[in-house]
Amino acid sequence: MNKPDTREMTMVEAVNLALSCEMRKDENVVILGEDVGTNGGVFRATDGLKAEFGLRRVMDTPLAETLIAGISVGMACQGLRPVAEIQFMGFMFAALEHILCHAARMRNRTRGRLTCPLVLRIPYGGGIHAPEHHSESTEAIFAHTPGLRVVVPSSPKRAYGLLLAAIRDPDPVIFLEPTRIYRLTKQIVVDDSEALPLDVCYTLRPGEDITLISWGAMIVETLQAAKHLAEQGISAEVIDVTTIKPLDMDTILSSVKKTGRCVIIHEAAKTCGVGAEISAQIAERALMDLQAPIKRVCGYDTIMPYFRNEHYYMPSVNDIVSAAKETFHYK
Amino acid sequence: MKYFKLPDLGEGLQEAEIVEWHVKPGEHIKADQLMVSVETAKAIVEVPSPQDGIIQTFFGGVGDMIHVGEPLVEFAGEEQEDSGTVVGKMQTQAASPVNDDYFIIGASDGHTQANKRCSPSVRALAKRMNLDLDLIEASGGHGLITADDVERALQLREEKGEQIKLRGVRRSMAKNMTKANEEVVQVTIFDDADLQNWPKASDPTMRLIRAIATACKVEPYLNAWYDGKAMALRPLKTIDLGIAVDTPDGLFVPVLRNIGNRDISDLRKGLDRLRADVKARTIPPSEMINPGITLSNYGTIVGKYANPIVVPPTVCIIGAGAIRDSVVAENGAPAVHKIMPISLSFDHRPVTGGEAARFFKAFKEDLERAE
Amino acid sequence: MDHGDTSKRGSPELRAQFNIHYYQYLNEEGKPQTTLPHFTEDTALLLKLYDAMVMTRLLDKKCIALQRTGKMGTYPSVLGQEAVGVGIGFAMRSNDVFVPYYRDMATQIIRGVDIKDILLCWGGDERGNNFKNAREDFPCCVPIATQITHAAGVASAIKLRHQTRAVVTTAGDGATSRGDFAETVNLAGTWQLPLVIVINNNQWAISVPINLQTAAKTLAQKGIAGGIHSEQVDGCDIIAVYDAVTQALKRAYEGKGPTLIEAITYRLSDHTTADDATRYRPPDAVKDGWKMEPIKRFRNFLYERQIWDEEQEKQLYQRCEQKISQAVDDYLNTQAEAPEAMFDYLYQELPENLHEQRQQLINKSGHKHHE
Repeated sequence: MNKPDTREMTMVEAVNLALSCEMRKDENVVILGEDVGTNGGVFRATDGLKAEFGLRRVMDTPLAETLIAGISVGMACQGLRPVAEIQFMGFMFAALEHILCHAARMRNRTRGRLTCPLVLRIPYGGGIHAPEHHSESTEAIFAHTPGLRVVVPSSPKRAYGLLLAAIRDPDPVIFLEPTRIYRLTKQIVVDDSEALPLDVCYTLRPGEDITLISWGAMIVETLQAAKHLAEQGISAEVIDVTTIKPLDMDTILSSVKKTGRCVIIHEAAKTCGVGAEISAQIAERALMDLQAPIKRVCGYDTIMPYFRNEHYYMPSVNDIVSAAKETFHYK
Repeated sequence: MKYFKLPDLGEGLQEAEIVEWHVKPGEHIKADQLMVSVETAKAIVEVPSPQDGIIQTFFGGVGDMIHVGEPLVEFAGEEQEDSGTVVGKMQTQAASPVNDDYFIIGASDGHTQANKRCSPSVRALAKRMNLDLDLIEASGGHGLITADDVERALQLREEKGEQIKLRGVRRSMAKNMTKANEEVVQVTIFDDADLQNWPKASDPTMRLIRAIATACKVEPYLNAWYDGKAMALRPLKTIDLGIAVDTPDGLFVPVLRNIGNRDISDLRKGLDRLRADVKARTIPPSEMINPGITLSNYGTIVGKYANPIVVPPTVCIIGAGAIRDSVVAENGAPAVHKIMPISLSFDHRPVTGGEAARFFKAFKEDLERAE
Repeated sequence: MDHGDTSKRGSPELRAQFNIHYYQYLNEEGKPQTTLPHFTEDTALLLKLYDAMVMTRLLDKKCIALQRTGKMGTYPSVLGQEAVGVGIGFAMRSNDVFVPYYRDMATQIIRGVDIKDILLCWGGDERGNNFKNAREDFPCCVPIATQITHAAGVASAIKLRHQTRAVVTTAGDGATSRGDFAETVNLAGTWQLPLVIVINNNQWAISVPINLQTAAKTLAQKGIAGGIHSEQVDGCDIIAVYDAVTQALKRAYEGKGPTLIEAITYRLSDHTTADDATRYRPPDAVKDGWKMEPIKRFRNFLYERQIWDEEQEKQLYQRCEQKISQAVDDYLNTQAEAPEAMFDYLYQELPENLHEQRQQLINKSGHKHHE
């Protein structure tokens, strides 16, 4: 029995590893998108895959996001498992129609006769000093749509396990990869083909005094904030939502009932962001356990600024620490 | 690297003229080997090769001016560093340490939450009335404090007075006494010490301290820590005596360390310092932890016998009552002597009655001596 | 189209040119205009084609009646365009895949979809899309032209798996203005997909006539832009349609790439039952349109060949009416699905967080349901 490959790697390398792992295992898994084949993807997420699996399974498509999503629907209905890449979330909108109108509904409208096990991988979020339209965080659009799953990893190890789960899922999954942490840290990842569960939150740091809820790249700042708070005697529990839809409110509520205080952190704009949904559900189901109002630390309700002022838009560690302290000291 | 650019030559110099190439295209070059000489406004500078490699091309001939940062040389076969992105700049940790990633799938184990539950409006009501929610009994479903509960608490306060939450030292005392009561199996022995032989101006506290030290040497098991869970007794190497001190802020128990090995004047100084620090509330927490045995000198106020509470992990506490004139039998006839009522409480789980009695006897005999 | 006076601009080289051929076998009176294809020797096939067109027309009429009497929802009539659906339906093999827009019930019925299911779809019941036969075929598609892209996806899967089968997709003239059409034509060409795109150009996209839809002389030439084989046929000539689709499928099976067929028809009805075409269409235009219609001309052709007569005609109508009547009864007698079914096919397994909502709906509707 061969020992599985075990290496230190970044998140984008972990994505690559998961793709090659699953493509070896399941011949129905195919990859398509712009620049994914010969170029290995503009972030190198599909590097080496065309060489290993050939151009029939790793397809360089023309420049047409609507097409990428649309043919993925057709392929998925035929029993393939397409893993399509939309190069940036800012370019996702042309693909929305096929995702919202077709992928999300195919099982439902044919009463299960046709199903759509596709994965749409999208690099997302800001903080890489990119030109405009390359920093969007519009996960709320997908989270609002019945029939979809939305998954956001925050570490290389979890990216590997969650992407495997997404590909194996029988329904459409939008897999959002935060570009800011693509290469930020390295972790040991074992290529053991083990998927991590979807539809469940991950507790990254147990705590007693306050619950910090976040996902994606903001997990980095949230964990740093938790560290600062600990130095000031406040024990923060950090929850990584991970599957934005469907939401695992059980984990979130269990934590909030324990601490009585919570702050929700997301990079996306505040109004009607996913934080609003979590907030509403906490208020519905745990109001009596709250010791303080729920706070949200989010991006402003503005267009993401060009990168010179990008850092003003993105929530900072200080923003999170302040909000947490105010919540903790609320009487 | 593929392209080697003219490095910073220092002193604010921004450009240089190529004077002589020391290698040719196609040639192998070793790191640090002399590659080219350039002339700045100030001097001729020898530029070494930054790496082993094969020169592909030069970007300038003899006599050409080249600026700092401009490509000088192209190395063959090297890949341009992959930026790994098509826009923007990806951040990488400088020396990325292996990032230990801890995660639990789902919720962490929470202890059941200790917070009082109530609706925001009831919370606001309690706040307006200056009532601490923690002190209000909940009668609502799911452990909720209702508005009625708040009203009741208000009324109680009106009729019976304000309820003060225990804080600080008093709070610790309440906790410790509760714990002691739950765990310890306490027995107390009483006796009287006849101080007739004491010289005038004897210091009772110092005599008590010495007597305790003596007794500990006779029966060391009374100067020990007991772990009830593990059922293990640790007889202690040194005798660290906790001395209960009453203050306006509550009961403090500073610890006089190593009383078995110090002379009287040193002990006296130590004791005085502790007392002063307690009074001034400057005593650090480290001076109040881990006593091996305790003395409660309540006699300085009033009282005869008592059963002072043994606080785990110690197993013994001595109580000293007020010294008074008492009628005793001396050679068959009544006489008035100074006596001090003494009490010894011990934890009967690890310590036998005999050990406690023998300790007490040694203590009493030392206390009754003239010197 | 004016390509500019090349003589005044330096005599450029001619790099590309295109031809669009228009195929017609029977004229509007049903008279053969040229040598007929070989399959016209097959009387049984010809009668099947006619049978199906009549069935389509009668069913179409019934559907409108059902809508007008409140027994069915909005319905898009296929009046005058029967030859397109029937031609496609008989040209396709059962293991090919059909990806329709919404005027395709003729093809669906030929491929084994129950009439009852078609009625259920327009009657607002998703179970109608759960075909018992032709299980890989797609359901009707409302977002215009998006089905064309799906068809390309299906064709890609087929090609990837080296299967000898093909995909036929249909769309209206309006669809050719949309991005999905252009993107798919482009992809089909570059990936050489086994795909046949049939455009039913019935001259009207709701109220927009073809000359306002595009400046291109033909819709077929939009396929030339993607480098694919493109042609026009008389969409009211069943022989031409059947022939064109058969040839296109043969090309696809043999790996010779995709085809775009523009079938020219006339939309004799309103866009749907919710539309009133008299608002934008002069009655004369419709009258002219009737001259093209496919059933009358083919009947003439069959009579001329002496393979059809009045008695057979009468029997055919009876047969069709009976079949339709039965299907309509089945449809009207089908109870609506339990309302909680709206949760049951959302995901393979309903996520935890939706169980509560599902139960709420069950409680609200008071339905007895099966777990």
